[in-house]
Amino acid sequence: MSEVIVITSGKGGVGKTTTTANLGVGLAIRGKKVVLIDTDTGLRNLDLLLGLERRIVYTLVDVAQKRVNYGQALVRHKKYTNLFLLPTSQVADKDAVEPEQMLEIVQAMKTEFDYILIDCPAGIEQGYETAVIGADWAIVVTNPEISAVRDADRIIGKLQAENKKIKLIVNRIRPQMVKDGTMLDMTSIDDILSLECIGQVPDDDKVVDSANRGMPVVEWKDSAAGAAYRDIVGRICGEEIPFKPFETESFWQRLKHVFGH
Amino acid sequence: MGREIVQLKGNRGGLQLVFAPNVDFESIRDDIQRKLEEGSRFFRRGTEIQIAPGVLSEANEAVLRKLFHQHGVLFRVEEPVEAPPRPKVERKPAAAPAPQPTLIVEAPKAIPKMEEPQMLVVNRTVRSGQEIKSPGSVMICGNVNAGAQIIAGGSIDIRGACKGVVHAGAYGDMTAFVVADQLMPTQIRIADRIAQPPENMKKPTVAERASIKDGKIVIEPIERQEIKA
Repeated sequence: MSEVIVITSGKGGVGKTTTTANLGVGLAIRGKKVVLIDTDTGLRNLDLLLGLERRIVYTLVDVAQKRVNYGQALVRHKKYTNLFLLPTSQVADKDAVEPEQMLEIVQAMKTEFDYILIDCPAGIEQGYETAVIGADWAIVVTNPEISAVRDADRIIGKLQAENKKIKLIVNRIRPQMVKDGTMLDMTSIDDILSLECIGQVPDDDKVVDSANRGMPVVEWKDSAAGAAYRDIVGRICGEEIPFKPFETESFWQRLKHVFGH
Repeated sequence: MGREIVQLKGNRGGLQLVFAPNVDFESIRDDIQRKLEEGSRFFRRGTEIQIAPGVLSEANEAVLRKLFHQHGVLFRVEEPVEAPPRPKVERKPAAAPAPQPTLIVEAPKAIPKMEEPQMLVVNRTVRSGQEIKSPGSVMICGNVNAGAQIIAGGSIDIRGACKGVVHAGAYGDMTAFVVADQLMPTQIRIADRIAQPPENMKKPTVAERASIKDGKIVIEPIERQEIKA
């Protein structure tokens, strides 16, 4: 059975593309056949995070406008051969792909893949419509800050109006700040959004490092964010995985930070 | 801020056009034209505006009629229907799902004459960017999140937390009110009054009701009637 999931947020910069890349690699590690579709036409990034930029020949725009079949545009991952990327164009803009064209592509892919993950652009305009139309359900990514939560609320309203099932990922949590009461905690976020949460990802410097190297943190054994993404992948596959409490810095670690490393 | 040249007053018949005293017709016309062109919320397309007979000369009435029609607003010269005080009191049972026993006795009498729109019940949380608009009263079974808007001609009852913008009596009904389990809106408007809750407001522990008293929006705690099954 094929599952089509759109990863969206409303606000930009909360970690949609990072989440898409990590879930894609995570599902591929479990042996699933996965395709990631970048719909952020004009501002594509997903290829960078996967280290596949130099292999792109055709794009989503070419497929939508029927210049090539989707199979010709797919880029296979270097390490995980059951993971594919359908990149988008960096030169075209968002209206280059109509929602109906996207729906047709996704329908065609369903027979071939276990999971189709769609990376949605920020905003609520046509790019959003195109990304969401073919999805069975949606993952809304947000950060524990008031503006990201507000925009998530907006996007959830839109998704619910289209009768999409939605699950939440809270990204870039800083456990120490939550503990100190200077960052929104899960209870306050749940108060506003009241959605099923399938992931709480801590802020992790390794995410930046991994993006630069094109190797998502989900495969890094020593990354806290990577571990959180592995749990999310398990939950998507239907496993019951409890949420682990975050490790906050001990007194000595904080002291070390104060006096430099 | 001085008195507006042109004002709208809501009554049972519709929206009544009222002018400030001692203002010449040119100023009135210019003010209406400006409001129409700005797309003021009172002069929406399809709204019906009334004026009492004898306020303007027939020639001037014709000028205004043409002006309104150009913007899709209906204009009628009609004797104002003054709202008798009793029916106004009786609207409240229509808005309160659990009316007090004393009011139930009066309610059946009011029903036959009621031409008012029915209450709109929204059975979900209203999220940021969503707007619920109704000419009558509105009941929300869910939260009204920050960034959401509820606009009602009558009163608003929220069975949940209210954090968005609520406007009761949007067509001028000063007796309209807003009730919520947790009333902590971004802004409260009743008729033409606007109130803003204080910064750093604490989460209220009881249901509250906002209404106009002595020309000001006042918020007071209320007791919700528990309906025992």
